[in-house]
Amino acid sequence: MPPYDAIVIGGGHNGLTNAAYLARAGRKVLVLERRHLTGGSTVTEEVYPGFKYSVCSYVVSLLRQEIIRDLELARHGLEILPLESTFTPLPNGDHLARWSDHDKTRSELYRHSPRDAEAYDDFGRLMYRMAVAVKPILSMIPPDPTSLSLKELKGLLRLGRHFRSLGRKDFASLYRLLTMSSADYLEEWFETEPLIATMSASGIIGTFLGPRSPGTAYVQLHHYMGEIDGVFRAWGFPRGGTGSVANAIAAAAVRLGAEIRTNAAVGQLMVRNGRAVGVALESGEEIRAPVVVSGLDPKRTFLGLVDREDLPDDFVLAIERYRMRGSSGKVNLALGELPDFKCLPGAGPHLRGAISISPSVDYLERAYDDAKYGQFSRRPFMDVIIPSVIDPGMAPAGSHVMSIFVQYAPYAINGGWNDARREAFGDAVVSTLAEYAPNLKEAILHRQVVTPADLEDTYGLTEGNIFHGELTLQQLFFLRPATPWANYRTPVPGLYQCGSGSHPGGGITGGPGLLAARRILADTKGGGR
Amino acid sequence: MSASYDAIVIGAGHNGLVAAAYLARSGLRVVVLERRRVVGGAAATEELFPGFRFDTGAHRLGRLHPALVKDLELARHGLELAWANPSVLTPLPDGRYLSLWREPDAAADSIAAFSSADAEKWDAFTGLVAQVASVLKAVHGSLPPRVPDGPARDLATLIRLAGGLRRLGKKEMIEVLRVLPMSLEELLAEWFETDGLKGTLAAAGIVGMCHGPMSSGTAYMLFHHHVGCAAGALRPLQRARGGLGSLTRTLAAAAGAYGVEIRTGADVGRIVTSNASVLGVTLANGDEVRARLILSSAGPGTTFLRLLDPSRLDRDFVQDVSNVRYRGATAKVHLALGELPRFGGVPAGGEHLSGAISISPSLEYLERASDAAKYGTVSGEPYLEAVIPSISDPSMAPPGHHSMSVLVQYAPYHLREGTWDAARREALGDLVVQTLARYAPKLPASILHRHVLTPLDLEREFGLQEGSIYHGEMTLDRLYFMRPVAGWARYRTPVDGLYLCGAGAHPGGGVTGYPGYNAARRVLADSRGSRH
Repeated sequence: MPPYDAIVIGGGHNGLTNAAYLARAGRKVLVLERRHLTGGSTVTEEVYPGFKYSVCSYVVSLLRQEIIRDLELARHGLEILPLESTFTPLPNGDHLARWSDHDKTRSELYRHSPRDAEAYDDFGRLMYRMAVAVKPILSMIPPDPTSLSLKELKGLLRLGRHFRSLGRKDFASLYRLLTMSSADYLEEWFETEPLIATMSASGIIGTFLGPRSPGTAYVQLHHYMGEIDGVFRAWGFPRGGTGSVANAIAAAAVRLGAEIRTNAAVGQLMVRNGRAVGVALESGEEIRAPVVVSGLDPKRTFLGLVDREDLPDDFVLAIERYRMRGSSGKVNLALGELPDFKCLPGAGPHLRGAISISPSVDYLERAYDDAKYGQFSRRPFMDVIIPSVIDPGMAPAGSHVMSIFVQYAPYAINGGWNDARREAFGDAVVSTLAEYAPNLKEAILHRQVVTPADLEDTYGLTEGNIFHGELTLQQLFFLRPATPWANYRTPVPGLYQCGSGSHPGGGITGGPGLLAARRILADTKGGGR
Repeated sequence: MSASYDAIVIGAGHNGLVAAAYLARSGLRVVVLERRRVVGGAAATEELFPGFRFDTGAHRLGRLHPALVKDLELARHGLELAWANPSVLTPLPDGRYLSLWREPDAAADSIAAFSSADAEKWDAFTGLVAQVASVLKAVHGSLPPRVPDGPARDLATLIRLAGGLRRLGKKEMIEVLRVLPMSLEELLAEWFETDGLKGTLAAAGIVGMCHGPMSSGTAYMLFHHHVGCAAGALRPLQRARGGLGSLTRTLAAAAGAYGVEIRTGADVGRIVTSNASVLGVTLANGDEVRARLILSSAGPGTTFLRLLDPSRLDRDFVQDVSNVRYRGATAKVHLALGELPRFGGVPAGGEHLSGAISISPSLEYLERASDAAKYGTVSGEPYLEAVIPSISDPSMAPPGHHSMSVLVQYAPYHLREGTWDAARREALGDLVVQTLARYAPKLPASILHRHVLTPLDLEREFGLQEGSIYHGEMTLDRLYFMRPVAGWARYRTPVDGLYLCGAGAHPGGGVTGYPGYNAARRVLADSRGSRH
């Protein structure tokens, strides 16, 4: 009898969530992580002494409440510090700031456009309704629309009933969000260019599309799904960096009985008589379990770990066709002093939230144009936070860390990524930001530039795609990553998927990990041993 | 002067004429009111220069609703249709060229000169297009259901369509669902490696759009344009002898034979209503025409926001209609030529040039062309589709001469700076000629006359709002049950007795007759009393 009920490949937040839920149901679980620490892309690393970076993902809002509750993550050290503003500096010396304080936002918007100030609350309410409308879909195991089995038809029926309950108007709004571009959608509501641009920017994060490309409105809604203490669209920063999220889940998993091994790179899935029976580590060690769950992206899982002969040709083709063009990079800075923005000087409250370099939709589109033709954006979109302002433990006293999410940086850059291009990319980012905060260049003590190629090499994100696959319509729900294997099962019995490459997709949500655990527990009722 | 009819059709474009003919065929007294001096709308053939005839608006007759030609006996009224062969020729900057012949083997041979892998996939790809198009055909021919809470019979429509999809087989069913929302780039990257081939196929999907082929949702249009076409040939080009205007001319003749009265030079100024029911229309000259039914083939913006008084319509409805996007980015250039042009290494003579000539050396070329439009400027290297109908139809030009019509993209209606004035019109004409000259160097010297229609001209001449050739964008959010707006995709409108019958309604644009046909059936069904 194998020593484990289940092996989870990859100690990212979804793998850990999956392991924790399996352990909570009494299963004996082993998590195998290739790196020396868990977290995957949900990680805090002290890259330079005293300076802690959330190297990859840098904010949370999408993590499911039920996971925080079920796994008692607060007790395991998770503390979310609210980000209280979004500040968009503008090249003309003006700025746009939105605050968690409703009245403050309203008067700021009023300054730009009374009409937009009026529309803003209505828009927020619509987005709230839409997020509520989408939530049950994001919380269900996708049905297989090709199957005529009673079980699958029930799932479709449930979906139909849900849509019916929305009514014609909200259904139409939801359908439009799924199919429109974020800029077009927002332009129906607002006229203030930086407002439209900054809001539409959440529709391009992680995608290889511009804000005028249809399909981006959905990604924007995806980012509205966040809830902290039930408040939609509230983003937060975990004390200690994003790694704290993974650490808390890992602690919960261990407390529930899961075992975690780091420096344990899986080399291959072991298959006997068509069933998954365990994994072979790169070291040669073999570990057996009747259930193997992969938190890796679909390409790494199926094209990397599974013998091609164990998979149907159609499925392999579908995974080969699955698009994962990475489009973003990170620049993490250690700063000797805070940036001083020309348009809003001093260390005001605007430095305690997100800083968005998104002055206009055209600006974002031009950034996208560069990437379309194989270059990093010369003047990129940036989503910046300064974690040390809200969590002083992130940097030595008096110093700061700055996290810059940058788009676009195409994985398939002309000529390929190398050290020179990485530094050129870093230079473009710093120069662009320094146009708004001229003291930045002088303040930099250390600079870490993470390209899509680095995301692939270090964090195992194929092509540097932060969502384990693009969030385009043809890669969502029952199509993610390929029908009929969107229900966390795979063509190899005993092998499951629990990463962002399965429904409901990317972001620190824990959704795929949780839903996959439900599937596994239902499939292996009776303990699995 | 006041006259009374059962039905008024606003606009004598092909959809208006189709609707009028079907209504009259069922015994209704119908009058068609057309603003221009000629019938045909954007499907008209006009003699712009003595002896030179041009399809001034659309030059592409893709596929007509299958019932039309038979029901309305268009052949008897003189309609002669033929498919061009090759469908399309793509000259490349290096002098080579790609010819998509109607015979799949011949097309594959031409592709094989660039990539044998691509040539081997040709059959399978044309099969996929045919399969998706067959699914869309059922959708196009049916009344969009009221979603998500329509009555049982709407659900039955959906189940019937889903059943048709299911019958393809599981794998095929998923494939259809998967490819529909894609971008052209995503779709074609899965199949082909040859730039010229990808560009030429992508071009089929971007016509009339303001988006480039890398935008999600553009693959749909490639499939849309192949509904009802024979499998195996892509970018098929159907011609009517005497020009595209022969279609509308014969439609007008057929309508006339059923008793339809067609009035040209009759510019409808207002739709007159009382208690949210139609009474008739008033013309710009003050004349009144009364009828209990009005079918508008004008776009939704024109119909609801200009011909009606929006302040008397439901506010949400008006908001929805105002949100319909047009953003035309298409222009047209007509050239009278003293001789047939020679393109690079293309053999002399007319055969190779008898279909469409596509300036689409790569998909990236098209995307770059679309970039300019995003920022409100005209692309310096535009996508062009030229046709020379006089090659196969001598009636289109004087002996030894030729008429060439060129569709141009992207030339945005909304310019960031300035408006479409005479200077910009001529600059656009020059740009098109220069672009063609890169592939056919002697062409400029053979130009006898030139006529340029900017997007603004298309609006003024044909009433196409913002120059949108489809009466509103054909993006996924505006198709089927969302066209033109949610809740009103079944040709009826919030005004009792008023129907839409143009390209702004399901299933949208192209010279197909579907909207006119579907709308007429809807009106007749309603008249028989099943008003749902």
